[in-house]
Amino acid sequence: MAKHLFVFVALAVGLNAQAPTSPVTGNAANGKTLYYDYGCYACHGYSGETGIRPFVGRWGHLGNEQEFLTFLRGRVNVAPVTPSGAMPNFSVEVLPDKKAKDIYAYIRTFKSSAPDVKDIPALSAIVNAAKQEKQ
Amino acid sequence: MAKSKNAVGRRGFLKNAAASAAGAAALVTSTPLAEAQSTAQGSRGSATPAAPPPTEQQIARDSGNVRPPAVEVRKNTRPGSDLQIQVLRDLGIEFAAANPGSSFEAFQESVINYGNPPNVMPEWITALHEESAVTMAHGYAKAEGKPMLAALHGTIGIQHAAMSIYQAYYDRVPIVMVAGNDADFIPAHTARDMASMVRSFTKWDAEPKTVEESLVALQRAYNEAITPPMGPTLVVLTSEVQKENSPNLQIPRYQPPAFPTIDSSTARDIAKNLLAAQNPRINVGRLRTPEGVKRSVELAELVGACTSTTATQGPMSFPQRHPLCGPGADTKYDYSLGLEAPGAQVAINGPGLAKVAEERDVTHIDFKGVKTPSNFGRGGGRVEKPALPIEADAEASLPLIIDEVKRQMTSDQKARIQERAAKHAKANHDAHVAALEQAVEQKKAGWNASPVSTARIYAELWPLIMNEDWCFASPSGFSGSHNAQLWEHNKPYSYLGGQGAGGMGYGAPACVGAALAAKARGRMVINIQTDGDLNYAPGVLWTAVHHKLPMLSVMHNNRAWHQEYMFVEYMAGVRGRGPERATIGNVLRDPFIDYTKMAAGYGMAGEGPISDPTKLQAALRRGIASVKRGEPYMIDVITQPR
Repeated sequence: MAKHLFVFVALAVGLNAQAPTSPVTGNAANGKTLYYDYGCYACHGYSGETGIRPFVGRWGHLGNEQEFLTFLRGRVNVAPVTPSGAMPNFSVEVLPDKKAKDIYAYIRTFKSSAPDVKDIPALSAIVNAAKQEKQ
Repeated sequence: MAKSKNAVGRRGFLKNAAASAAGAAALVTSTPLAEAQSTAQGSRGSATPAAPPPTEQQIARDSGNVRPPAVEVRKNTRPGSDLQIQVLRDLGIEFAAANPGSSFEAFQESVINYGNPPNVMPEWITALHEESAVTMAHGYAKAEGKPMLAALHGTIGIQHAAMSIYQAYYDRVPIVMVAGNDADFIPAHTARDMASMVRSFTKWDAEPKTVEESLVALQRAYNEAITPPMGPTLVVLTSEVQKENSPNLQIPRYQPPAFPTIDSSTARDIAKNLLAAQNPRINVGRLRTPEGVKRSVELAELVGACTSTTATQGPMSFPQRHPLCGPGADTKYDYSLGLEAPGAQVAINGPGLAKVAEERDVTHIDFKGVKTPSNFGRGGGRVEKPALPIEADAEASLPLIIDEVKRQMTSDQKARIQERAAKHAKANHDAHVAALEQAVEQKKAGWNASPVSTARIYAELWPLIMNEDWCFASPSGFSGSHNAQLWEHNKPYSYLGGQGAGGMGYGAPACVGAALAAKARGRMVINIQTDGDLNYAPGVLWTAVHHKLPMLSVMHNNRAWHQEYMFVEYMAGVRGRGPERATIGNVLRDPFIDYTKMAAGYGMAGEGPISDPTKLQAALRRGIASVKRGEPYMIDVITQPR
């Protein structure tokens, strides 16, 4: 089931590698606290790079503030009652627009911490070893 | 149970001991030495001015030349438990893991003292919990494809072990268990039919009434455990059958089990089709033993078929980097054979648990996962229309197919096969490198993030062990399964897969079991250990230290049960309530657990916590060096959540 959910989420959010450049109105410092309080890190990693649904590298429904809000609220209509690892619904009652925008502002600060593979000795060693193996 | 005249129960033993003591006392009071002492004491205070000259006995006593009085020596020269251990030895059982229990002391005494050398085959392994003992056997069996033994103490030991037994049953893993039953000791630890507590999720059990029966029962328990569907078996050994003297009893001749195979005509057809095909494919699932893996390689090489493998998901499958493993030069296969896996034309799959569930689940618990799933035979590969599986053991059937292939193969076919195999080898190599280059682009995400990304743990570790003989024995699902993309799984034991039934408390004890196998074979065991899992029975770390097992544990310490945290968050969202309180019951904070100190408490060397990723590789190097010295090591790494 988890595999199906992952496919569903991946298809729903779409994949795009470019970081959004749309305007941000929230407060990223407040958003940082809220990001942890609302448990966003559990799926998206402490810096949005890791986990089952990282942001960095594939921003999906984070293209702009309004899109993010729509996605948060819209989940109520698609979320089945069965417990799952899918994105939870966040109604306006539990996550008001202002807080949601603060979270969005914080998410937008995320950047890749990863160097190029060629500059990571461990990863380069893995690829090189595989290439050199006898066929 | 009716006791034989030679039976020595606890009550009988105590009664005899008391009688022996009384007899010894009587002997003492009648010795000349005692009489002399009495005489000496009696003379004290008399008018006699001088003591009499010492007697010979007094001189002997004063010079330390006293021999104890003759007592009757117990003539239990060949207890039943010695014979039981000999049976296990003959079967090649290497280890017996147990937490001490006062119902199998006779059995334990035989393991540690019987034979030359004693405490070898099996060697007694000290466990701190029965659940750990059985899961050690679980890990060992997955690494070696054969059972070791776990000993359980009466009703309480069986119940302590129950979850592990259940998990091994689900995982179709061979384990032989014995449970002691001492009806004369603590009543609460005995029962009329102990094995019934776990009957629904064991494959076979027995409570033999005589020593001879116990020997047959152990042989059959072994056979039942290793024949498909493999599973844990249990023999309840009463004190009587452990202790009864059996000077003239011969060990029954062992009869190896018969494995269900395909018939000779099917073998002929499969061989013919493999040889006639222009582009045959062999899908290899989880076989039983390393021998089966070897045979699958032999068949693939003989017919030049490209293969699929489940080696990145679990043990006993086709070597991942074998030149024939991969999609091959042409992915339009005109004949595919499944070996414990689906196949478009033929699939050979051993019987599943459903085969034994009806007979064993007499209380109708009806474990849902035991039933053959409706999509059985459709997973594990891109097979458009899988053939209905032939119910036979693929491993036992392989020699028949191989013999037929060798018999039918022409020299023309041989040349064509060699040419095809060479093309597959190049294509598979290129495909692997391409997949790896794609994978590292994904795995580098969060490379320099703190806490440490789970992918970085796997990526830093692999170059350090790729040229070692290693066994990755802990489940990798919760830590990202990065080994599947980054590592190469070329041995039957490279990766031992998941828990079996998803039960926690599995990782560390399974690794200890795998490390028992690894120690004698010059391997090292890698344990990427989730924090929640370790806290079920951390005492197993002590077992690793005590037995000097080659095990490197790297904590995936995310300080929570994140899957459950996410589920509760999700439920709060569905109900229109905020997720702020979803941490309650799902996180390991206030206080954080210090795993390095935990390990140190059990005598295990280690370091951490490490949250700076740049410090990880050096720590891993130190850990591997320690393990190579025979000292298990723990590195506590604070990680990203998933």
